[in-house]
Order: sequence, then C-alpha cells, then structure tokens
Amino acid sequence: MFTNTLKKISLLVAVAMPFFAGAADEVNVYSYRQPFLVKPLFDKFTEQTGVKVNVVFAKKGMAERLSREGKHSPADVLLTTDISRLIELQDKQLLQPVESKALVDAIPARYRASDNTWYGLTTRVRNIYSAKRLGDTDFTYEELADPKWKGRICTRSGKHPYNVALVAAMVAEHGEAETLTWLEGVKSNLARKPQGSDRAQVQAIHQGLCDLSLGNSYYFGKMLKDDKQKVWADAVNINFPNQKTRGAHVNISGVAMAKYAPHTKNAKALMEFLASKQAQAMYAETNMEYPVRVGVKVSKLVASWGDFKADHLPLETIAANRKTALVLLDKVQFDL
Amino acid sequence: MSEILNLQQVAVNFDDKSILADISLRLACGEILGLLGPSGCGKTTLLNTLAGFVTLAGGEIQIDGDMLISPGHDIAPEHRHIGMIFQDYALFPHLTVAENIAFGITKLSKSEQNLRVNELLALLKLAEHSGRYPHQLSGGQQQRVAIARALAPRPKLLLLDEPFSNIDARLRNELMLEIRQLLKKLQMTAIFVTHNKDEVFTFADKVAVMHEGKLLQLGKPAEVCLQPNCYQVADFLQLGSWIPYALSGNELTTAIGRLTDVSGALENGESRFLLIKPQDVEICEGETEGHNVIVNHISVTEQGYHYHLASSSAPAPLAFDQLSLYSPQILALGQNLKVQIKPHNLLVFTKDRH
Amino acid sequence: MISGNNSKPWLTTTWLSALALLAPVLVMLLAGIGAPADLFVHLWQTVLPDYIINTLLLGALVVVLSLCFGVPAAIFIAQTNVLGKKYLRWLLLLPLAMPAYLVAYLYTDLFDYAGPVQRFLRASFGWSSPADYWFFDLRTLPGAAVILSLVLFPYVYMLARTAFEQQDQNLLRAGRLLGLSTRQSFFKIALPLARPAVAVAASLVLMETLADFATVQYFAVNTLTTAIYDTWLGYGDLTSANALASVLMLFILFTVVAEQKSRAGQRHQSNRPNKQTEVIVLTPWQQAGAGIFCWFLVLAGFVLPLGLLLQMAFEYSDAEQLSQLMNTGKNSLEVAVYAATLTVLLALLFGLYRRLHRDRFAHVPQVISGFGYAIPGTVIAMAMLATFGPLDHWINDLAEMLGWQSPGLVLSGSIFVIVFAFIVRFAAIANGTIASGIGQIPHSLDLAPASLGVGLKKMLLKVHLPLLKPSLLVAWLLVFVEAMKELPAVLLLRPFNFETLSTQVYQLISDEMLEQGALGAILIVLFGLLPIIWLNRTNSH
Repeated sequence: MFTNTLKKISLLVAVAMPFFAGAADEVNVYSYRQPFLVKPLFDKFTEQTGVKVNVVFAKKGMAERLSREGKHSPADVLLTTDISRLIELQDKQLLQPVESKALVDAIPARYRASDNTWYGLTTRVRNIYSAKRLGDTDFTYEELADPKWKGRICTRSGKHPYNVALVAAMVAEHGEAETLTWLEGVKSNLARKPQGSDRAQVQAIHQGLCDLSLGNSYYFGKMLKDDKQKVWADAVNINFPNQKTRGAHVNISGVAMAKYAPHTKNAKALMEFLASKQAQAMYAETNMEYPVRVGVKVSKLVASWGDFKADHLPLETIAANRKTALVLLDKVQFDL
Repeated sequence: MSEILNLQQVAVNFDDKSILADISLRLACGEILGLLGPSGCGKTTLLNTLAGFVTLAGGEIQIDGDMLISPGHDIAPEHRHIGMIFQDYALFPHLTVAENIAFGITKLSKSEQNLRVNELLALLKLAEHSGRYPHQLSGGQQQRVAIARALAPRPKLLLLDEPFSNIDARLRNELMLEIRQLLKKLQMTAIFVTHNKDEVFTFADKVAVMHEGKLLQLGKPAEVCLQPNCYQVADFLQLGSWIPYALSGNELTTAIGRLTDVSGALENGESRFLLIKPQDVEICEGETEGHNVIVNHISVTEQGYHYHLASSSAPAPLAFDQLSLYSPQILALGQNLKVQIKPHNLLVFTKDRH
Repeated sequence: MISGNNSKPWLTTTWLSALALLAPVLVMLLAGIGAPADLFVHLWQTVLPDYIINTLLLGALVVVLSLCFGVPAAIFIAQTNVLGKKYLRWLLLLPLAMPAYLVAYLYTDLFDYAGPVQRFLRASFGWSSPADYWFFDLRTLPGAAVILSLVLFPYVYMLARTAFEQQDQNLLRAGRLLGLSTRQSFFKIALPLARPAVAVAASLVLMETLADFATVQYFAVNTLTTAIYDTWLGYGDLTSANALASVLMLFILFTVVAEQKSRAGQRHQSNRPNKQTEVIVLTPWQQAGAGIFCWFLVLAGFVLPLGLLLQMAFEYSDAEQLSQLMNTGKNSLEVAVYAATLTVLLALLFGLYRRLHRDRFAHVPQVISGFGYAIPGTVIAMAMLATFGPLDHWINDLAEMLGWQSPGLVLSGSIFVIVFAFIVRFAAIANGTIASGIGQIPHSLDLAPASLGVGLKKMLLKVHLPLLKPSLLVAWLLVFVEAMKELPAVLLLRPFNFETLSTQVYQLISDEMLEQGALGAILIVLFGLLPIIWLNRTNSH
C-alpha cells in the first residue's frame, strides 16, 4: 500500500513540476541584480518584443549553479553587479562570446571583454560618504588608514564584492605589502565591526556613530528618494575620492550570455536591448547608475553630484587581484 | 509497649465528597497492621493521609505520642518521620542503589551515612548491587532497595502500599516471611495495604477491614476470622458460603437440614443469611435417601477436592446455589448426596445489596 | 516482518527512500574529501580559529540562555501557582512561530542609536551623543545569542514542561518522606529526572543555532557558516566549503550522540503521570516575580515583534503588495504542503518499518534519514545541486540518446529540489514525532489483528493509522511551518520566477526595507501559529 501511495504521490509531484526549457518565445535570466531594479526593464523588453523573460534572482551561488547545470542549463543571460563575478564566469568558461555590432558600438572598449564574452551596462563609483559637518573635502581611499579617522569609519563587510574590488584595485596600485598596511590602518579606524549594507553605514553616520563610510554612488540617490532614508542621506555628503590622483574606483554591472544558452537569439536581443538608449536611460533614471553608453545622460540628481575623474585601471586587473585581496582581508581579520 | 499511632475519628474529603469517615485505631510499637478491603474502599487514601499527602477534614492523628496532626494543624510529610514503600517502589532512576538508600540521611555525616547504608545493604542482601541503577535490578531486588531506603532514616512508622503485588506468586510467601522477620527484628511498626487476605494472615499482627471509607473491624486476624462483625467482613475474607434459613422459635431450617436449640440473637429478616464455613459442613456417609445437594463444580486443591454444591430439593426461599465443601472423597459432577451442618456457633448477617 | 509475502516492496521502498535522503549528505562528505590543504592552512592561520570560537561561543550561549529562559518557565507552569498559568501555558510557545532573523531586524531598529528607545532616553536625560551614555549593542555575538534564545527557548520550555508533568508522582512523594520539602524534592528529584528531556531540547536548540544564517549574518557574527560561505563564494572553492560543512555536521552529530550516550543508563518511563502534583506554593512576591519572568518572555519573543510588524504593515502595505503576496504565498504553501506531506509519509514508512521489521538494522532507515537536520540549509542546498545536477545530466543525455526532446533540469531546476531539500532537512522532526506516536501503540496490537485473521495492510489501515493520527498531524504541522520559515535553502535553489514569502521578506529586509515586507512576515508568523494552537489543543485533552 505504501509503495503504491508513494509511487502515486511522486508521480503527482513530477507532473506538477513546472517545465521551463523548450518553450519558444522566452529568455531565461540568472540575475544577481535585484527584482525591483531589473523588472521594469524586462517588462519593457517583453512589451517591445513579445519575448517572455523568466528570472531567477540570487545573490549567491549563481556561478556554482551554472557550472553544475553544465550543458543542460536553462540560463541564457546572466546579469551581475560586479566585475569579479563576470570574470569568475569567464574563468570557469561558463560564457560564450556575443558578436554584436550594436553592443560594440554602444559600449566603450574598457567596459567590455576583449573576447566579447561580457559587456558592462552601468558603472558605479565606490564613494566615500562623509558627515555633512566635515564640509567639502577631497578624500582619498589612502587616507582612510590615517589615524586621524580613528573610530570614525563605518563600512559593510570587507568580503563584500564591492569592497573586495576596491581592495583589489589598491593591490594593483600599491602592491600587496602596502595594501596590507593600509587595510590594517583602515581596520583600526573602524567605529564598529563591519556589518550591514552600504545604506546602513550612511544611517550610522546620521546617527552619529561615525563620520565616514564607503558606499556605491547610486545608493545616495535611492536614499534621497525613500521617505524613511532621506534623513540619513541628508546627513552626509557624497565624495568622489582620489580626484587629484588616479581617480575614483569604478566598478561595473554587466551582462553575459551563458555558454549553453538555449535561446541565443532572444538572449542577444535582450542584451542589445539592455545596451539600448532606452534601457540605458532607464538605468540612469530609475537606478541612478552611470550608463556606459556614450551619449545617454545621467539622471538629474546624479548630475547634481558633479562630474568626476574615474580610475581607468583595467577591469581585468582588478579581477586578477581579487584573490590576493581576499587573502589580505583575512590576514588583517577585517570582519572580526 | 508504647503506642506509636493513634487515630481518632479521622475524616478525609475530596471535593466535598467523603472518602474516609470516623476512622479510629491505635497501633503499638512493633505491630504490623494490614489494611484490607476491596478497591476503592479508601485504604490507600488512609495510607496517604498518614504520610501527609492528603489533608485531614476531621479528627486527629497522633504519632509517637508527641506529634499531633489535626485539620488546623498539618505537619508536612518530611517532618512526620514516616517511611513508605510504594507499590512500584518509586526508586530514583538517576541514582544508584547506594545513593537511593542514602537519599534520606544526607543530614548525617558522610561516615555515618556509609555505615548505615552498608548495614542496610548487608541486612537486605544487596551489598553486591550497591553501585547499580534500579533498572538493572529484578523486581524483588528493587523492593529490597525500596525497603532499605525507607528504613535508612529510622522512621517511627513504615507504610507499605500493596508491597507484594508485583512479586512473583512463587516467591511471595518466602519474601513476606523474610520481611516480617526483618521488621520484627528492628521493632518496626508498619501498616500495609492489600486486597489479598492471605497476605494479611501471613504478614500482619492485626488486620483492619475497610469498606466504603469506613473501618469495619479491627483485630487479630484469628479473632476477625472467628468472629467477623458484619457481612462485608466475612464476605471479603471469604470465610464461607451464605445460605438462606427460616427461623421458628428456636428451630432453624435450611435446605440442608434443621438445627434445634439455636440460641442468641437470631431473627428472621429480609436478606439475612447463615455463614457456613467449610469446616461446618459434612457429608452424611452411606446415606442413599434424602439427597439434598448436587455437585455442580469440582476443583482440585493441595489438600483434596473443593466441591461447589447447589441445593437440589429445597423450596425457593431456602434454595442456594453455592456451598463450598472440602473433602478428600471423590465425587462425580452431577452426583447427588446428602450433607448436614455440624453444630457450631452460628453466624448470621444481613446482606445489603449495593 | 509479520506478514511475509509483501515484505519485499516494503523493504526496498524503505531502504531506497532512506538512502535517497542520506545521499546528499554522503555527496557532501565525498565532495569534501581531497580539499586542497593550502586554503585550509591560510584560513587556519587567519580567521578560522576565530570563526570556530565564535561558533562554539554562540552555540553555548544560546543553549545556556534558552535553558535559563525555558527551564524556569517550565518549572513555574508545571510546578507552581504562578499568576496567569492557564494562559502562559500556551502563550510561552508562541515565540516558536517567529523567525529569528525577523526579530533581529525588528529589535535592531528598536534598540539602535536612532531607534525609539535610545531617542527616548536621550530626550529624557538630555544626552546628545553616543559618548554621553552607555547602551548595549545588539549587533554583537551576545546580542545574536539573546535574539536566537528568545525564539528557541520554547523548545526547552515545551519538552521540560512535559517531562515535569509526566513524572511519576510517587518519586516526588518518596522524596518528601525521606525528608525533603516540596521545593527540595523538586530540585533533587524532578529536575534531575527531566535532564534527558532538557538535553534533547538543548540539542535541538544547538542545531537550530548552527543552522541559522540570516541572524548571524545581519549581526555580522562570523561563524563556521560564514567560513563556508567565504570559501565557497569568495574563494570559489566548493571542495573546501564542503569539507568545512562536513566538519560542522560531524561536530553536531558528535554532540548529539555524546549527549545520548551520557544518559543511556537512565531510561525511566513513568506509568503514573504526575496529574495532581502538590504545587509549590509561592509567596506573593515570588508569584509576581515568576509571573513577570514568563510574561516578559512572551512579550519579548512574540507580542512585541508581532506588534511592530503589525504597525509597519498598517502604515506601509497597499493593494499591490497584497496581490504580490498572494502569489508568493501560494508558492510558499505549495512547497510547504508537498514537503510536509512527503516527509510525514516517509517518516511513517521508516517508523512502521522499524516497528514491524524486527531485525538488527530495522532502526537504520529512521536514523540515517534524520542526519540532514544537522546540516545548515545553505549546505543542504549545495549538496542538492551536487546530487541532482548529475542526475539531471544523466536524464538529459538519455533523452538525447533516445532522440527525445531534452527535458531540461527537471530535478535540480524545479521546485522538486526545494521540496527534497526540505525533506532531507526536516525528516528528523517527523521521524521523532511519529516514532514516539508508534511507541505508544502497545506491541500486542501488532499481533492482535493477525490473530483475528486480518492481513498486514488492513491492520495498518484499521489499527495503526487511526491510532497515529494525532502524531501524523503534529509531524505534518511542524514540518509545514519549518518549511514556510526556511530561508537559506530556498534562496539558493529557487527556480525561475519563483519567490517564497521568506525569500521575499528577506530580500526586502536586506535592502533596509522591512516595512514593505511586514505583511509577508506577518503571514509567515500566522502560519507558524497553526501547529502551536493545535499542539496546545491536543495537549490539554
């Protein structure tokens, strides 16, 4: 009896399981980016092309999942928030090159892979937020290790990809030993153990817990537009660091096509759409990032923060130093 | 002998329902009392009342002359100097045999404790088990531990709740004698509860028969057997068979013959019966006429046969359907025969139907 | 097996199911073998010792605090005349319905520098900066321990209370006659006797703590779970991550086994439940103190967080949110119902097999199928992908060979894998509940139907199943709620366009937008109340 019941039930479950692969007019996206950011873009894409967009949102384990799935993976398009994720996918040979004039024309060479396996869509700056009372100052990443900021710096976990990329850039610029000293300095200046999100650090400045924090540029705009968080943002200035030297550290969010993408045509169309003027404008407006496409304006709010000089360190170099950065972060026990 | 226990008109209620009423008894030092009665008669409640788990509604309890318990003046169980052996022994499963025994004497010094524990272990033949846990022991061994534990604080009174009900029938008699000897040796006053009359006869100096919350009769077992004071006592002790009778003048008629010159306070009445103990009946040898009973059940006993007889010819009011007769003689099922009552001190009781 | 001729399918089904549930655990252990030593050396020289210390510290603190909350609460309810006993009896169970990470977020909002509590204090005492006064920091290891204990202590409370209430009253009476007061006999007898139950509860609490992911992450407490994440996602080294996870699992199993061994000699079953225990009569002051203690736990672990959520939901929710919730709620319900039903069926299978198939290994399926409980959800998710990924490949290759259309990732890319992960993770809960239910069926009942000429099937249907109904229901409800609350495994295993209440709430929370998630959070909590209400109902009968 139980055998039979079990058989019936497993059959029932199997039948109830949704099947995704195979259907014609759709495209499957694995997204590191959050739903509220990309959903309006996908809706617009579906509206224009009639292609349905299926999404899995995940912050963690995407590359692992993709490599496990191998050639049967349903994934077509991969959206990431960080250069190291793109490089990781590329290193694991989970991507395929996409030859597209539209993409190449739209995106400057330094924001896409030389082998066309990935394309940047937006850039974001790793800013230093400072308490308003400190006034307008030129900050550098290097001075975060200066003892004058003792107990006055807040940041999220050092292991977060945004911070890892910054540390990797420091390694590329100053070498391993100097970066280690720098990290020790920053750690000893922390007002509290690294925790929370970039926004939570701004909140902490608002609360008076610290004076400086690290945070991506677009969060400033988002906080200004949020009823609850506006008071946090009002308490700080956003600063573009290292303007007198190499420029502010820039990271990209990007897109790539999975190696075994079942819907290559739709995938390419979606990628091109994301680099289109319209989509790039949406990125700029709704998410307050810097569009990579030349000629697309940033949002008014973002423009009001002023122009800045970006560090033109090649993205591949940053990705290459990622592991060293992680080892250094562990060495100074940054998060402990 | 000094008096250890004195109960005067003890009453106990649960939720306004009377459970025990008007219980009075005295117990001298070293006496063993058996509380006997059917289930629900209140004997366990009486035990719990003595132990202090149940509060008095009326009357008083005096322990060893100097401790007085009454409704307004309760004394906690731990201050009564009473030991108890529970039906399931209630040994502490997380403690070893030795630790169980020492449980009640922790106020003594360590060496005194050891001394007493060892003494009890030896006395109860438990020495080799002292380090074991209760679940590693047999039922009989567990009971010895329970006894040793209860005796360790040298209580003034020992209570035993159906102490032998969990013991194998074959070992029961032996164990009862052994424990009785032990209690006597220690001059321990004890009360035990049972529904088995044989246990009372083997184990007790005195018996108290209880029924529906009342104490019916208190006395030495032999006295109670010889002279039960009411129908319930005689019936519960299974002293004999009940047969109807008719009385006219000083002549008493039954289905198995007449008795003349009966005296005493005999009278006719609704549901009054004559108690016939097995030794009061005999077979009229060689009689072929006047058969008055028929054999309708035979069981074998160690001493011979136990026959259940029914009257075969008597008119309705005098007819009976069960009279016990013990005899070495071989009778057949359905055999008719004549029996008669031997002259003896007649016992007649009213049977109330409940 | 009692009836011989249909034992084969039983046997195979049982063992295959048990092995299927064990498979991910084995896959994880195997995957961890041969992890490169250099990464370990690096981790060991830098952060791993601290992670381990944090893990041990957090585990120990949560266990100790849960005992400090749960045991006295159980004592007050089971053995004293504390005020409001009738209500507290079940109110004290409610915190179980609260996901720890929710309480963590809510309390951080409440108690941090900008929160209402500190604002009020500043306003009242004229302080103006953090330097003016000391206030505890919730986002620390002790803070995480307090939060976790506030929602996990009901395990201790529930098991300890039951233990007290079912103790043989004669044991306590024996204690009284041997010179102990009610209080003393409680501490010298009742408390030691409740130790096995309390130990079981403590090991449950420990497992839940080590499996926690969201709370410790939010509080930036780096534990072994952090190390697993770091090695996997940071260093991209899944092998080492598996090795670490295996170490964690073995550590948990070792704790559980050691605990069981330590009380192997003390089996004691009471046949005289302590119904009419003499309660310990408290003085009015003690009564007030005990009452405040219990009510504080109920307030802090349930009423206050729920109140905060309700307030947020009231202020922030709108129609659009509601329709979205319907959708994700449906998903949550779907996986939870599948998981609960299948888990209970399997647990029933293992339980009956153990009962009826009396050989030396009959208990093995039940035991090995429960190992998954000792593995954090994240790790289970990794193991799931490692197990079903290859299977999917095999299926697709086969389809290709046969010239059929490739079916895609039917196992690892659908809710199948989530449901399976839940079964692996929660089988132990259902096993335990059903095993105790089966234990209460007298063994003679296994034989009675056979003596009446009734076959095995009919016997199980007509005798065992009806008798097991309450346990089956309780097991179902417990798994159902755990599945509704589960976060880390779903987070990693979601198929396309699939969100559950917990992933949605978690995402909103991690973007500092708890207000928008309040309604969903309330739903999770409300579902969590179902089994508690039911448990209370069955208990009071």
